[in-house]
Amino acid sequence: MSAAPALRELQRGFADAVLGRGDDAARWVVGAGLAPAARLQVYANTSAGTQIDALRGTYPAVLALVGEDFFEAAAARYRLLHPSTHGNLQDFGGAFAEFLAAMPEAAALAYLPDVAHLEWLRQEAALAADATPLDAVAPVALDAGGPVRLILHPSLRLLASAYPVLTIWRYATAPASGRLQLEGRGEQVVLWRDGSDVALAATDAASHACIAALAGGRDLDAAHADALAADAHFDLAACLRSLIAQGLVVAFTQTGECTP
Amino acid sequence: MHDASTPAARPIPAAAGIGLRAPHLPRVLAERPRVPWFEMHSENFFGAGGAIHDALERVRADYPLSLHGVGLSLGSADALDGDHLLTLRALVRRYQPALVSDHICWGAIGGIHLNDLLPLPFTTEALDLMVSRVQQVQDALGREFLVENVSSYLTFRNAEMSEWEFVAELVRRAGCGLLLDVNNVHVNSVNHGFDAHAYLRAMPVAAVREIHLAGFTRKSDLAVPLLIDSHSRPVDAAVWALYGEALDRFGPVPTLIEWDQDLPELEVLLAEAGRAEALLDVRRTRAA
Repeated sequence: MSAAPALRELQRGFADAVLGRGDDAARWVVGAGLAPAARLQVYANTSAGTQIDALRGTYPAVLALVGEDFFEAAAARYRLLHPSTHGNLQDFGGAFAEFLAAMPEAAALAYLPDVAHLEWLRQEAALAADATPLDAVAPVALDAGGPVRLILHPSLRLLASAYPVLTIWRYATAPASGRLQLEGRGEQVVLWRDGSDVALAATDAASHACIAALAGGRDLDAAHADALAADAHFDLAACLRSLIAQGLVVAFTQTGECTP
Repeated sequence: MHDASTPAARPIPAAAGIGLRAPHLPRVLAERPRVPWFEMHSENFFGAGGAIHDALERVRADYPLSLHGVGLSLGSADALDGDHLLTLRALVRRYQPALVSDHICWGAIGGIHLNDLLPLPFTTEALDLMVSRVQQVQDALGREFLVENVSSYLTFRNAEMSEWEFVAELVRRAGCGLLLDVNNVHVNSVNHGFDAHAYLRAMPVAAVREIHLAGFTRKSDLAVPLLIDSHSRPVDAAVWALYGEALDRFGPVPTLIEWDQDLPELEVLLAEAGRAEALLDVRRTRAA
């Protein structure tokens, strides 16, 4: 019989068994009528089941697109390659899009990583901090002369895809809506929390560029320039009105040139 | 914002509550069923904001609330996850739950989380570690914390004491409360062949703050019986019997029906709670 392991050694060995990296920990386990490795396997199954279920909950469209067997196999591989680093499962699965992009068996579904990315952003939007939107009718006083920046709602997320990612997502999550008609064009998506749901809306490339610049902390002039580069007819006022109407602007700020 | 305006928590009554899961939230908020108290999983509220927090505000406005964690990994040889503890502290300050708990187990090592309730070796090393961790949590939260005994599917060769000795000693030395899961006592008594009654007798009567009840599944393809704490079935007859015994020993203690996998309609949980309530009622009458 081996010497009694220190707690850390025992837990490392146990984790290896749960993650399919070898059954050395079996030598510390009382068999009592079963193979010690079979007892460890119970935990490998329960841990995998919990983590795969968490991915199922976060990625319903990916699941619908690839089917149960493929999803389960992908999720089982994912949890070994990108182990969970939090006791809170809401934080597990953030690299699933990247994992799917590198998964040879998923290569035929080139749009799949972007669908996964959209679903991760959707979860982030659902859990993001609350903030009180700017009153749409109250006047905003901006007279300090410096560049103007916007503080946008913490739940706002953006995704630009070379694929019609939102159309695919809607089809996958509500397939009753009929046959999928894809025109093959990419879509830019804005996501935000709207009441108890997360709203997803396709937007044009110039608006996307503008909102992305603002969300990245750039000032209004720089965001406007980015948008005009995408579309010379971009209407900044209309874009801002729409953001304010959706409750996505928390504040306008204006300070001197050396703001962070 | 919330801290200043949050009234003190309503205490959990010595009655049968229900573990409230997301699929039942809309009905509970819309219909306000007569349930003496609810328990919810702490980690579900670790996100900074969103609809789930609005729901929790509304639940706590109408019902006594307990927050039960599954992810603190108290017994890990790693240090406690400071961010996890800070988030829990913020949650407890914001919602002032009447009870706060997690498990006597570990779930992470070397920064890798297995997101499971993994068994500890019942050694003095593990006991000392658990005592210091529970004290750390109670210091951080500034209040009593409850620890729960877990189901297990193996024991370790290097055990130096029984599970009940470990649990009782932990609660005594850490000065914490005990969340006694009667189903887990039964499951482990079958899985490891010990006397469930002796386990109950070893528990410190004055420290038992809450009892959990749930259903298990039986693995039928193995050479020996192995019960799995699946939270997927009604409470077993043997567990109801053991629960009655626990009430005789510990008095009428707040009791919770837990159901996670294959979650049925709310009525099924209410019926299970009603069954616990009937057993509690007998003891309440006796005590009066």
